[in-house]
Amino acid sequence: MNRYVKSFLGRGAVFGGFGPIILGIIYFITEKCSTNFSINGKEVFLGIISVYLLAFVQAGASVFNQIEEWSMAKSLFLHLTTLYIAYALCYVVNTWIPFKIKILGIFTAIFLIIYFVVWFTVYFTMKISSKKMNSKL
Amino acid sequence: MKLSVFIDKKHEEEIIIYSHEKSKLISDIEELISESVNEIVGYDDKKAVILSPSDIYCFISEDNKIYAVTEKERLAVKYRIYQLEEKLKNNFIKINQSCIANIKKIDYFDASIFGSLTVRFKNGYTDYVSRRNIKKVKERLGL
Repeated sequence: MNRYVKSFLGRGAVFGGFGPIILGIIYFITEKCSTNFSINGKEVFLGIISVYLLAFVQAGASVFNQIEEWSMAKSLFLHLTTLYIAYALCYVVNTWIPFKIKILGIFTAIFLIIYFVVWFTVYFTMKISSKKMNSKL
Repeated sequence: MKLSVFIDKKHEEEIIIYSHEKSKLISDIEELISESVNEIVGYDDKKAVILSPSDIYCFISEDNKIYAVTEKERLAVKYRIYQLEEKLKNNFIKINQSCIANIKKIDYFDASIFGSLTVRFKNGYTDYVSRRNIKKVKERLGL
């Protein structure tokens, strides 16, 4: 098995479990803050499975940035696309957002904004690191 | 500091230094010995050149061949990346899967828009530090 596939599966297996834990915390807080919150067994089951898979893919996809045979642009594009598909599917399957073009458009815009905010945070962290490293040359 | 040289073919070649402290002279001697031991032969179509590690900016892997990048040229060498990593421990460090950099020949590091670090060498050659190697490079630089 390709070492990157192994790494993808390994990271997914290690961190996938955090998804349902976070989902449980969100359910708990929502229930405490809302007077008419109720979900049935099917929704809970679907939520746990889909969020587990989402966390699995998100953790596994972090390996994309380490595949040195890929160009940086390719790894960025595939990472963004993979996460977008995983998040969109998870939200639609759980009916957290309706399957309507307008809503999906808003979801996509919010997703892209958050993705690039995170990405630029990483960029500026690297900028600070590079300055420190230059001072040691 | 006293210097004694014994020419004796019966003994194994060895250099021993007794010093009260580690000085620049000792560092220079260490570097000189390391360089003479680690000389590398580089080849192009017409010639073979003996390269001192201090002449080499980095080693890169391209098309299954390994090249030593010097001030003005690239010369093929008959080593694999992992062998060079083992052989040249002093000033060289692996920065990605296909590049071993001479730290003393790095001009500067810079952040790339794709979340990694680019490396600019003093001869203008540019490569990058893969995420996997950032921690090791930082440690090597004393960070």
